[in-house]
Amino acid sequence: MEKSIETTWKQGFLKSDALIAPKVNDIYNRKSIHLIEKFEKMFKINIWGIIIGSSLLFIGAVLAGALVAGSLMLVMMLYVAYTAYQELKSLEKLDKGQSSYAFLKSFKEWIDRSTERYGNMYRFVYPALILLFYFGIWYSDIFSPMREKVAESTSDLIFGLHTYTTLAIFIGAGIMSAFSKVIHKEDVRAIYGKILDKLDHALAEMEELQR
Amino acid sequence: MSSDFYSASILPYAPIIIKICRAYTDTQEDFEDYYQEVCLQIWKSRHNFQGQSEWSTWVYRLSLNVSMTLLKKKKNTPQHTGSEFIPEELSEDSKAFSDESLEQLFQAIRKLSEVDRGIILLYLEEKSYQEIADIMGTNPNHIGVKIKRIKERLKKLLDGKIN
Repeated sequence: MEKSIETTWKQGFLKSDALIAPKVNDIYNRKSIHLIEKFEKMFKINIWGIIIGSSLLFIGAVLAGALVAGSLMLVMMLYVAYTAYQELKSLEKLDKGQSSYAFLKSFKEWIDRSTERYGNMYRFVYPALILLFYFGIWYSDIFSPMREKVAESTSDLIFGLHTYTTLAIFIGAGIMSAFSKVIHKEDVRAIYGKILDKLDHALAEMEELQR
Repeated sequence: MSSDFYSASILPYAPIIIKICRAYTDTQEDFEDYYQEVCLQIWKSRHNFQGQSEWSTWVYRLSLNVSMTLLKKKKNTPQHTGSEFIPEELSEDSKAFSDESLEQLFQAIRKLSEVDRGIILLYLEEKSYQEIADIMGTNPNHIGVKIKRIKERLKKLLDGKIN
């Protein structure tokens, strides 16, 4: 005789294998891997953003007749993209076999290390970009009428550049250099803020779970 | 989550969680994910339990809510697993239950809507219409009719009359 669903339900669960609970010892495993995969994806997009952005800047510089400044900016930004790629490689080497907590902790350490390293690198990159941009524009072909106009209207010139503007740019570059770490940290937070918050939240939860 | 809390407040109710999670998942991997998420949510929301109902009722409600939410999320996320290409013999290995009839029943339940799955699970767990309505947040007057319809659909699914 055909069994009713009620009987199937009752009899089926009498078997010992029907209700085996999975272990709850690695609750965050998949979550933590997802979190880092998301970060890696965004990081890759960011690298491509640098490559594409600097290439467009280079094309713009060439069209404006600032080949040297454009080339220097391109080389510098490609170097930044290359180091970011190397950082990404080191992130991929994180041991996924360790516990979720250790895994997320090492990810957090990687972010801190990376932010620190980039903060140091941007100490030179930020001012260099500002100066290259400024000199590039100033000496570009497209800017030559303006250059002549400035030369006619003032005697405050240094190497053909307006002295006070140049001074202001140098001070700006110096400030950017001095605050490079803070600026870079804010930059990182603006791009990866959501993921970093999730990471902090997950770590805090896991620390509470361990108590 | 302390092992004390798990042993005292979750493990005795694990059968409830297992049955619900099985009804909302097709694979062992998803089942373990759902189970763990339910346990985590029970632990995280433990302070919200005010003792107005039985702890088991609360576990039912929470397990259903978490499972339905995860299933919705999964439906909205494109899958890249290519599971549709898994050969028949491989999917046979991933059967949740050795009891053939029970396995078929769960396969049929998984074809129901999210809410219908919850209602029939609670019915099979011998919950009263009032309890089902309380857990599902519906009107108890309609539960009887609803269960009758779900059972008819399940029967058709089990007989292979519909897919």
